[in-house]
Amino acid sequence: MLARIFAFEVRYQVRQPLFWFAAALFFLLTFGAVTTDVVSIGGSIGSVNRNAPFVLMQILLVMTVIGTFLTTAFAANSVYRDFETQADAIFFSLPLRKVDYLFGRLFGSLVVAWLVYVAVLLAVAIGGLMPWLEPERIGPFHLAPYVFSMLAFVLPNVIITGAIFFAIATLTRSLLYTYAGVVVFFVAYAIAGLFLGDLENRTLAALVDPYGFGAFELVTRYWTVAEKNTGLMPLRGILLENRILWLGVAAAVMLFTWARFRFTTAQSGTARRRRSRQEPAADAPAAPAPSVAAPAAPLPSAVQRFGPSTSWTQFLHQTRIETVGALRGVPFLIMLFAGLLNVFGAVTSLDDLYGTKVYPVTNLMLRAIAGSFAMFIFLVLTFYSGDLVWRERNLRMSELFDALPVRTWVAWASKLCALMALLATMLVGVLLACVGLQAFNGYTNFEFPLYLKGLFLEDMPKFLFIAALCLFVQVVVDNKFVGWLVSSLFYIAGFVLPALRLEHHLYRFGTAPDAPYSDMNGYGHFVQPLAWFYLYWGLVCAALVVVAHLFWSRGTEVSFALRARLARRRLTRPAVVALLAAATGAIATGCLIYYNTNVLNRYLPTKTRYDRQAAYEKKYRQYMGLPQPRVTDVYADVDIHPETRSVAIRGRYTLENKTGAPLDRLHLYLNPDVTVHALKPAGAVIDTQDEEVGYRIYRLDPPLAPGAEMQVTFDLAIEHHGFVNNGSRNQIVENGTFFDSIDFFPHVGYLHQGELDDPNERRRRDLPPVQRFPKIDDVAAHANTYVSGEADWVRFATTVSTSPDQIAIAPGYLKAEWTENGRRYFRYEMDSPIFDFFAYLSARYAVKRDRWHDVDIEVLYHPGHPYNVDRMIDAVKRSLDDFTASFGPYQHRQVRIVEFPRYTRMAQSFPNTIPFSESIGFIARLDDKPDAIDYVSYVTAHEVAHQWWGHQVMGGNVQGATLMSETLSQYSAFMVMEHEYGRDRMRRFLKYELDRYLQGRGGERIEELPLYLVENQPYIHYRKGSLVMYALKDAVGEEALDLALAAYVKARGFQKPPYTDSLDFLEFVKAAVPPDRQTILDDLFRNITLYGNKATRATWSKREDGKYVVHVEVVAAKYRADGKGNETPVPLDDWIDIGVFGERDPKGPSEGRLLAMETRHVLGAGGTFEMIVDQEPRKAGVDPFNKLIDRDPDDNLVAAVAGSPAERIAGN
Amino acid sequence: MTPELVVDNVTKTYPNGVQALKGVSLRIPAGMFGLLGPNGAGKSTLMRTIATLQEPDGGSITFGNIDVLKQKDAVRRTLGYLPQEFGLYPKVSALELLDHFAVLKGIVDRRQRAEIVESVLHRTNLWNVRKRRLGTFSGGMKQRFGIAQALLGSPRLMIVDEPTAGLDPAERLRFHNMLSEIGENVVVILSTHIVEDVSDLCSRMAIIASGRVLLSGDPQSAIDALRGRIWKKIVPREQLTSYERDLKVISTHLVAGRTAVHVMAQARPDPSFEEVPADLEDVYFSTLNAADQKAA
Repeated sequence: MLARIFAFEVRYQVRQPLFWFAAALFFLLTFGAVTTDVVSIGGSIGSVNRNAPFVLMQILLVMTVIGTFLTTAFAANSVYRDFETQADAIFFSLPLRKVDYLFGRLFGSLVVAWLVYVAVLLAVAIGGLMPWLEPERIGPFHLAPYVFSMLAFVLPNVIITGAIFFAIATLTRSLLYTYAGVVVFFVAYAIAGLFLGDLENRTLAALVDPYGFGAFELVTRYWTVAEKNTGLMPLRGILLENRILWLGVAAAVMLFTWARFRFTTAQSGTARRRRSRQEPAADAPAAPAPSVAAPAAPLPSAVQRFGPSTSWTQFLHQTRIETVGALRGVPFLIMLFAGLLNVFGAVTSLDDLYGTKVYPVTNLMLRAIAGSFAMFIFLVLTFYSGDLVWRERNLRMSELFDALPVRTWVAWASKLCALMALLATMLVGVLLACVGLQAFNGYTNFEFPLYLKGLFLEDMPKFLFIAALCLFVQVVVDNKFVGWLVSSLFYIAGFVLPALRLEHHLYRFGTAPDAPYSDMNGYGHFVQPLAWFYLYWGLVCAALVVVAHLFWSRGTEVSFALRARLARRRLTRPAVVALLAAATGAIATGCLIYYNTNVLNRYLPTKTRYDRQAAYEKKYRQYMGLPQPRVTDVYADVDIHPETRSVAIRGRYTLENKTGAPLDRLHLYLNPDVTVHALKPAGAVIDTQDEEVGYRIYRLDPPLAPGAEMQVTFDLAIEHHGFVNNGSRNQIVENGTFFDSIDFFPHVGYLHQGELDDPNERRRRDLPPVQRFPKIDDVAAHANTYVSGEADWVRFATTVSTSPDQIAIAPGYLKAEWTENGRRYFRYEMDSPIFDFFAYLSARYAVKRDRWHDVDIEVLYHPGHPYNVDRMIDAVKRSLDDFTASFGPYQHRQVRIVEFPRYTRMAQSFPNTIPFSESIGFIARLDDKPDAIDYVSYVTAHEVAHQWWGHQVMGGNVQGATLMSETLSQYSAFMVMEHEYGRDRMRRFLKYELDRYLQGRGGERIEELPLYLVENQPYIHYRKGSLVMYALKDAVGEEALDLALAAYVKARGFQKPPYTDSLDFLEFVKAAVPPDRQTILDDLFRNITLYGNKATRATWSKREDGKYVVHVEVVAAKYRADGKGNETPVPLDDWIDIGVFGERDPKGPSEGRLLAMETRHVLGAGGTFEMIVDQEPRKAGVDPFNKLIDRDPDDNLVAAVAGSPAERIAGN
Repeated sequence: MTPELVVDNVTKTYPNGVQALKGVSLRIPAGMFGLLGPNGAGKSTLMRTIATLQEPDGGSITFGNIDVLKQKDAVRRTLGYLPQEFGLYPKVSALELLDHFAVLKGIVDRRQRAEIVESVLHRTNLWNVRKRRLGTFSGGMKQRFGIAQALLGSPRLMIVDEPTAGLDPAERLRFHNMLSEIGENVVVILSTHIVEDVSDLCSRMAIIASGRVLLSGDPQSAIDALRGRIWKKIVPREQLTSYERDLKVISTHLVAGRTAVHVMAQARPDPSFEEVPADLEDVYFSTLNAADQKAA
């Protein structure tokens, strides 16, 4: 019987449109994700194959989470439809067993829900065959991952979610409760995710995640590209435990459902209530029928009035009834809640570094909303546009309505207003939720005006356009499903068109250029284009709405030909006037926009920009390394005009021929967007001038003799006229100008910073794979530093002017400040030579000053961001303390930290000047979170360290150069932090670094290199660099290492070419390493070394003298990896920490108080180690502070138990 | 003085080729007018066309001095329309929706609206259930609600399409009472395929089939025309076909399980037939038969 019910259910559900609709949707989503870069499911995949098993598993998992709604629809419907259609009376009177009925239906529906996912598999399989994909990114087809994912992920997930929501549907007999249950489930899921999101809890998080997503992430988080392309997840360990746990839960829920389910028609829930209310109606008339003969009193007279005011009243009433109906709708509530949930998730993970939260300032909230809520608004608008337009017809009410004396516009206008009301409700809802979230986090500076601006002026118009479009489409297409499809296509087209080089917002429906908000600069100059584009789209939408009016279907006959005939009749004078006004307005605005974006400015789609970069490289890369005179002296007058966003640069370079041979050509590069009033190398004649890419070659006649000097004078302007379609420049703004010399200054020779670096885009343009750095043995490349190819050390002086209310900053010391012609002038001079990389900033700053010995400290900050200024000053002082003691003197007499807008998220060190983005430290929230990682101090220290590592010592332009700048700054900052906060606190930091490094390996696009050959790969020179330097310091001692570093600075600081490299650096380090430990440098610097250490067991016993003997069993392994992540085991013969921890201090680290830690010699596969401690041990293990790069850092500690060791003691 | 509805030579062919109306002409004065015809006769097409929901291909319709096909808004202001099949917002109460309909009918004065809505609810016997959601209404209650909304705004032209389908006898009776009350000064067109509805209620009628008007006039004179020409006999079931072949059988009924045939003839076909008084059903069937034969 069960089998027959099952089979019936499968046949029934497969015939439902929902099944095919869902399958089509899943197919399209997946197909899009696999074959284009437009759709991404579960995050970017870097250079992993598009059809890699990892990608497939990830897509399927994401789909099962989304598919919860689908599974619920199938499972709930399987029994609920009997209640709804009141067929339950029939079924329950049949000689059916409860178990057959319930489980036959449930399993039948679950199998169908499961089959939907076959569409995902097909999409991945078929998508991989598409001809436009780069063959490099397509792996061979294997069946095993498909089968595995369907059985290990999808089937259990369908069963688990299906069982839970089937239970709710069956027991409450209410769809509302069921979907409310889904929402609650998601809320709980999201909240659990938040609480368990920490590194410390990931095993628990993986276990309690009902979808197995956490387990999947935990197992695959450090997979390399090679593993992602071929690896299959083993069904054991945490994944197996997770699956068993949740299938057990599902079984229990099913059992409970079976036990509580009654085979009766009237049971619990709303179905019963509804039924009981219905009964009197169905059976007994409410009152006796009036007798046939009795004449009824005439109806009271009521005046009917018609005219504009009546129409208005009718419109208001109809709007109210439409709105109330839609607001009560379950889909609306579900999407609202799901959207809010998504925002919560986004808000809590926004902008944190090292797990430290930032203040939930309003503009963060707005970005979270724009990123995570917009999709749901779009879904609501699309869905309800169809729902509302078809509402009366679907209810078979339209004949009643259409015959009423109501103007046609009332019908569509009320529906459009209902859509707007839904939109407004969602926006107000998300506003309140965000304010609540801020309050909940103890942040009370609610910037309501900013909320209103962001939500109702920036976001809302876009959605209004979509509402109007959806209405238009639904009316004209006159088929709800096709209408949904067409509306979605419009929405998707907004994302797809840029991939086809169609980036202009004039034809991407309802879009406008981005308008990033910065606390410093507000919406700034981004408002103007936004306003014009909004006006344009508003007018287009007005025209669409008039057309919708013409085609609005009224009456029972709806063929398009007939509606077209009617449309002509509806083309009354007001309609014509409105249509003409909107259309001409749209055309006029469009022309004006076009004039701004394409005539006043150049319109360059991103891909065309790439073409330009490629052309530049193809034509001029041949000149890289060409002997050229070098810059020795820079002087510039720079006038910054924040109010007009323009900058004038008049300057002079002195060049010197240091080559030892005469030079007859001078090559200059200048950003082609800069207006050149004059660019004159003295005594030179222009030979080649390529305006398109900004490359110029001059003939020097007579040639520049060795040792001779020449001058280049220039008069340049950066001006902004009108506005642009995309990529509006954010360096020169009303408040918060920040640009550097690469942006707008002339450069001698080929500037490789302008090269295209995306490997896929390069391949498409027939460029060879990018050469990130010349090889380390490239002797010629040592002639330049890795930052500049045109100069060694330069003298620098500049005069900057700006608005009277702003302060302008450039490297150097302030020599003079004056006001002239209503502008404020600053003259800066550098007293020692610097690298020729300099920056200009200007804004309305508050200034805080302090001193460290004879060094002035200044923080120039946005007056609204005072939170961490003192902390920064403090960090500067501590850094100077440390670095001058360890590495040598500071070359300047001043340190300035200067805030700039959030358009770029970084801090950067220029000589004595450190621009610091408002988004990475100024709003970090550290005061009330004592154990948060203080990354403000950390970043500050890192940038101060660059004054040594980058401004005193600078690597040549070869592999490994960033080791001497970034890695050493990272280490220096780390030590500042460790001196301040102690070793225990820094452990957490190291763990983050390890985590980021291991994850970074999986995102590698070309190949991973050992640290000494790093090619500007952040996950290596920052993340791995921290770990390596810390391990080195640990092995040789801080003092010895600092001595080596100091010697290195002394020997290589301010050096002339050829510049130092990492091999040279390692020679200095070698001196600090004891002879018997030299191999450590092979492990740390010269190879990619990984460990697989774990503690398997720890036992302790109390000795008579009150001390505790602890035995720690350790399994150890060591690997070397190649650039793709393939690992080979190597024999282990290392000194590794063994640690024992005691009870946890109330505010101490989570692993407990460190009782003992000793470095032991570990050989082969590990062994058992004995430790003696004073207090009762709680945990013990190997490499507890994760100093080694361990592929599973979480299994290094085990709980210590009383008892004796299982094995004889090995090692010492 | 209520104007007359004049339908003149209205034709309609649907895009799929079905000719729904083939030149229909009718004059409909105040009072109840029955539009009788089998399913698919074109009744609903005609009703919808009069109710401004559809466009005919040709012909004209006037109501007094209103051109129904052109001045749709003017028609809608005097119209009460109850479609054959209709639904209602399930989550709105009867009172709310009726009030809403009153607004849409142009009754914007709040007090007057409240009065008329209340009395219409009383009249349709929905007062006790006015606060219930319409989704919980039974078929009869829904039908009464339909009447209630049609009554709003004192219409002078009422169009009621197959209103009693699905009603139980008591509901149907009540419904008829309501219709007959309003049908005195108003043009009421009642479309139905149930002969009794017409004979019970209507002072005038038309029979329509395959898009043509077969007969129009008052029911009594149509019945009178058949007087003395209708004969009835109980026949064994197996002989039915031979009777149908030999005689002009206009209808067959089951009477207590046996088959009775009605035959139309100038004289008694044979002594076993008994004369029966003609009724409207005989008129209906004989008219349809005549049309069929003409068509054949």
